Formats: sequence, C-alpha cells, structure tokens
Amino acid sequence: MSPRPTLAWILAALGAVGVVAALFGASPERFWANWLLWFLFVLTIGLGSLFIVALGHLVGARWSVPIRRAPERLSGLVVLAAPMALIALLSLPVLYPWARPEGALHPAIAGKAPWLNVPFFAIRVVVCFALWGLAYRILVGGSMKQDQTRDPAFSVRARRFAPAFMVIFGLTITLVAFDWISSLEPEWYSDIFGVYLFAGTFLAGLGASALVVIYLVEHGRLPGVTNDHLYNLGGFMFAFTVFWSYIGFAQYLLMWYGNMPEEIFWYKQRIEGPWLNVVLLLAVVHFLVPFFALIPRGTKGDPRGLRWVAMLVLAAHFLDLYWLILPVVGTSPPLSWPEISFALCFLGLTLLWVDRAMRSGADMPVGDPLLQEGLEFRL
Amino acid sequence: MSDGVFAVVGLFDNAQELLQAIPRVRARSLGRVEAYTPYPVHGIDAALGLRRSPLAGMVLVAGMIGAATALFFQWWMTAVDYPIVVGGKALFSWQAFVPIMFEVTVLFATFTAGLGMLFLMNRLPFFGHPLLSSKAIAAVTRDKFGLAIEAQGEAFDVEAAKTALTAAGATTLEVLPFQRELVPLQFMTRAAMGIFVSCVVAGYAMYWVIKLFPVLPPMVHMEDQPKLNPQKASAFFKDGHGMQLPVDGTVARGPLPYLIATQEEAAGLVNPLPRTHRVLQEGRTVYNQHCAVCHGLLGTGTPSLTSAYGAKPANLQGQTIRDYPDGKIYHVIMKGKNAMPSYAADLTEEERWAVVHYVRVLQRAQNARDEDFQ
Repeated sequence: MSPRPTLAWILAALGAVGVVAALFGASPERFWANWLLWFLFVLTIGLGSLFIVALGHLVGARWSVPIRRAPERLSGLVVLAAPMALIALLSLPVLYPWARPEGALHPAIAGKAPWLNVPFFAIRVVVCFALWGLAYRILVGGSMKQDQTRDPAFSVRARRFAPAFMVIFGLTITLVAFDWISSLEPEWYSDIFGVYLFAGTFLAGLGASALVVIYLVEHGRLPGVTNDHLYNLGGFMFAFTVFWSYIGFAQYLLMWYGNMPEEIFWYKQRIEGPWLNVVLLLAVVHFLVPFFALIPRGTKGDPRGLRWVAMLVLAAHFLDLYWLILPVVGTSPPLSWPEISFALCFLGLTLLWVDRAMRSGADMPVGDPLLQEGLEFRL
Repeated sequence: MSDGVFAVVGLFDNAQELLQAIPRVRARSLGRVEAYTPYPVHGIDAALGLRRSPLAGMVLVAGMIGAATALFFQWWMTAVDYPIVVGGKALFSWQAFVPIMFEVTVLFATFTAGLGMLFLMNRLPFFGHPLLSSKAIAAVTRDKFGLAIEAQGEAFDVEAAKTALTAAGATTLEVLPFQRELVPLQFMTRAAMGIFVSCVVAGYAMYWVIKLFPVLPPMVHMEDQPKLNPQKASAFFKDGHGMQLPVDGTVARGPLPYLIATQEEAAGLVNPLPRTHRVLQEGRTVYNQHCAVCHGLLGTGTPSLTSAYGAKPANLQGQTIRDYPDGKIYHVIMKGKNAMPSYAADLTEEERWAVVHYVRVLQRAQNARDEDFQ
C-alpha cells in the first residue's frame, strides 16, 4: 500500500534485528507473548476482511461490490499468519500452563486435558488454517479469476458458499479465541469470549478495508466509488463499535456480579495496578472516541474523517489484544525495545504484504455482474 | 383572497421534469414548495432546499439526558436515600447501573425521535393531510410526481400558483381545500376529557367489582405465601415453632442460642474476653447505662428502689456474689433473677461479658488486698 515500499523494508529489517535480539535478550515469556500478539493481530485483520467479503456474498449486497477488492486483498493476511501460527506453536510450553508437565497437577487443568493438549491443539490450528485457506481460494481466488473470465457463475457459487463459510467462521473464530487467548489462563472460561473476539475481528477488518478504500479513492483508482460507499463502511464501524462494547461489558458485568474466584481473577489481573490505565485507555479508544466520532453523518461519509477513525479502530483492536494477552507476562504493561521491535518488524511485513497484494488483479471486481449496480448505489 | 385553500398541486410525468420544475417554482416565492413522489428521488432534498433536520441533535441530547438521569437516580436511591449493601458491593456500583443507563438512554432517545417526528415532520396537531382526500393522491402514489405550492398567510394567490406550475410544465392542476373542520380543536379537547373520565370510571369500577365480587382476587401472592404468624403455630416444623435451633455442627458467625437453663449449669462458663483497658471501659459504659440504676455505681445496690419493686437489688459486693464464678453472673444477665428481667435482648454477648469483667473490678476495688496497695 505504501508508495515507498523501501521504507517498509527498512522498518521490517530494523524490527527483525530487534526481534532476534529479543529472542535472546528478553525473557521467553515476553518474546512469545509479543509473537502471539502480532500473530493474532495479523490473523484477525485477515479474517475480518474475509468475513466482510463473505458477508457481501451472503446478503447479496450491491453497494459493497465496487470496494470488495480491498477486503479481498487484505484477507491474504491469513496466508501471512499461517507460518506465524506454526512458529507460535513453539510458545505452547512457555506461555500455556496446560502444555507444561505441572499442568497435570492442577485439577481444573487436568480435567481439560482431553481438549487442551499439544497434539490436538496443533491439529485444530492446522484444520482452521486449512478451512480458511479453502474459503480464501473459493471466495478471493474465484473473484480474481472472474476478472478475466467475466463468468457470472462465480457470483452464484460464492453466494452458495457464503452460508457455509459463516458456519465455518463462527466455529473457527471461537476456536481462535478459546485456544490461543482464553487458554493462556486455562482455569478461566467465558462462553461469550468467542463473540467478543469476533466483534474486534470484524472491526479490524472494517478499519483496514476502509483505509485501503480511502487510499485507492484518493489516488483515483476506484472511479465511481463515492462517499456513500464509505458511509456504509462507517455505519458498520459505528454499529460494531457498540457491539464490541456491549459484549465486552456484558462479560465483565456478569463476572463482576458473580465475583467467583475462578472467574474474577482474570479481571483482577487486567484491572488492578498499572493495567487499569490500559483498560481505561481501551474504553476510550475502542468505544468512547469512535462512538461519538461516528455519530455525525459527516464523519461516516467523509474520507478524511473516516480515515482517522479507521486508524483509531485498528489501533484500538491492537490494544484490545495487548490487554488480553500481555497480562500473563507481568503485573505491569511491558513497553520497551522488544515491543517496539516487534511493532516495526510486523508493521513493515504487513505493509509489504498488503503492498504486494495491491498489485494483484484489478482494483475493482470488474467481472462481477453486480458491479455497475454497486457503482450506482446512493444513500 | 384565497380563503380555505391549503395548496395548489401540479402533476408531472417523471422525476426529471419534477426536479427541473422545482427551482423555477421556488424562484417565484409564492409559498412553501412541497413535492409528493411515488418513490424517493435522489437529490430532491437539495432541490427543495430542505434544511438538515434538527431531530438528530435532539435525539442525541435526549439520549445523554437519559443516561445522566438513570445514573443520577440510581446513585441517589442506592447510595444516598436508602443505602443498602447488596452482595458485598459498594453502594455506588456503576457497573450495575450501566444496563439501566443503557435502557433509559434508548427510551429517551426513541421517545424524542418518535414524538419529534410526529410534531416536527408530521406537524401535529395537523390530522389528515388535505392531499389524502384529493384526486392527486391516486396519481402520486402510482406513477406521477406532484409539486405543491402551499398557502402561507392570507395573501396566497391561487391563480399565480396555477400559472407558475403550468409554466414549469405541470400537466394536471388541482386546488386542495384546507380541511379546517376535519378534526376541530373542540373535538380533541372533548376526546381527551372523555378518555380521562373513562379511565377514572374504569379504575373505580374495577376496584369495586374486585372488592365486592372476589371472583378473581388480584395479586394476593404475598398474602397467600406460607409464613410465620404471631401467636399461631407454624406449619413449617413439627413442633409448631417458627424459630429452630441450628443443626449440629453449625459454625457460628454470630451468637448461638443460649441453651443453659439453670445458674448452676452456667457456673462452668469462661469469660472469653481478655481483661484489657478497652474491654473494661466498655464494661463500665454498659454497667453505668443499664445496671447502675438498680445496683448502684459501686455495686452496693440502691435501696430507694425497694419500695417501688418490692425487692431489694442484689448487693454485688456481698460475699455470695463475690464467690460466684463468672458464668453465674453472666447467667443472671441472660435470664434475670427475682425481680431483675433478662438483659439478653439489650446487650450483645461482648457487652455482657465486659460487664462481668467490670463487676469483678468493682468488687476488687471495694475489697482490695494488701498487694493492691503496693
């Protein structure tokens, strides 16, 4: 996406040096927690984008057809996340108590051993990526091919596959939430946690897609896409900002009310001490600011306003993951050279990846029979 | 003069002609220009010069007022007016208030939106739009596009409006009479009074019907529930008592029932309180408040009460009571003796034992031993 990919190369290279240094210089918990954080950030942007693509097909939306190529290209980040996931499997004995021998001594963890064990965990990870890869091939690969063939059969096929993808997505995003994040503290459980991660994932996909669309519009690469199309992206962002807050608060309220030791310790770790600042910041940047910023019509339909909100939403999603994962490392939020190195490295890598994706295929799904109707969309 | 005219409507064949006609008609400034179309036409808001509706801002403000109201009321009720600790939570537990704040926000916002729409957009109390009883209504709900010049004030010129619409390309013209008598204000007042009177009558009628003919007793669940009644045997337990002894092995989280019947059995009780300065001070306070009125500040008894009660208060300095073990004194406080009533209900367990300590201090002070003077 960047017009100067060299800058992204320099960022990634600089960061990579820091990441390697962190492997030897920082504690293993901290290194792997950062790795997990960035793996999940990249994965959720990709998955959220894939979900947006499938959602358009599912409901037969016309307005989203002209901008569909943006989430289609971004969903390639799932492919980038695959090797990161395989490497992240090495973090199991470091970060996850159930993967260590002493896990068997804890009755609550031992009881979950049939689900939480390394071979089955690895199988689940591979199966998830295989399913996402399949969906990516069908939805995104097929759409790219349609650019040349102009075959309307793909649109029908995608619409038939979309409901199946929703089931797959619902199950796999829950697995991501439960396996990768929730099982960091295997005594804790929350039924709604999968939905919570889904809300953040969808928002991340929307934020990234909006950024790409605004970039392309400003460079004149999406002729015919108007502020009305952006308005819908902004509307989605507004709705799911509220949804994320609703789910997040519902989970907190029930655990706060119940005050059961097996549940509340998770929040005590994340609300007490210096982490309180993080959670307050999260409430501000993930709910208050985007909520009030997106209320006026002007922000949703205005590229300049929406770009700021989209960046904020992406950053807030990152902070959300940081708040979910990093408390297992220590009682104060770590922010020093390892975190900065990871940020430089993976931000650079992501930008390079997206930049490469931006050069594949046309900027609009030119073979889609609904494209013209989508371009004529007005509020 | 155009008395009784609401508007003049001209019909156009398609949206394009309508959009072209609007600026030309508006330029004449004959009255308020309004369009009626069978479907939403893009760009018509701008052409008609419609201002942004103030409703959105009103809804936002109403929603915020709703949130603030809910927060204030809950804070007032739970933390100020009737503070009760629930579930060990703080009195001001904002977490518990959020769902209600959310609901009241939605309530205020939707009411503002709904009523605002009725009053601002639909111009209540303007019932029955004249267009609805016109010939044009059939056309503009099917395939024609209507443009109306509404009368504003007495100076409305019907002929000028007709000319303007024809010049702009209208095919058919119709004058809409102003249906002033559709729903007269007098009728509305009467209707409101009628509704109020019917509500009052219906309320009283329901009350008396239910009271005189108790076929369906209303809401008596609280009265009917199993409960303890004073001076009556309870059906809860076989012995008919409402209060029961704790089951064996109960861990005390407060005082347990006092089961000792005689003073002799109580002799073995041991004072659980240490003889500290604080305990003795508490004992003195309680003794002076409850005991000294009969037994005297020094425990020697106050003879003045003998005539009133027929019995002389025990002299706590007497040899009998000085020889009592602590438990026997405690038992008298619990159960009373002779004319003395029980103080079990007035003093806590700690206060009773503190008094026992203080009585021992009084006795020692009046019967000091040699070593006390060294």
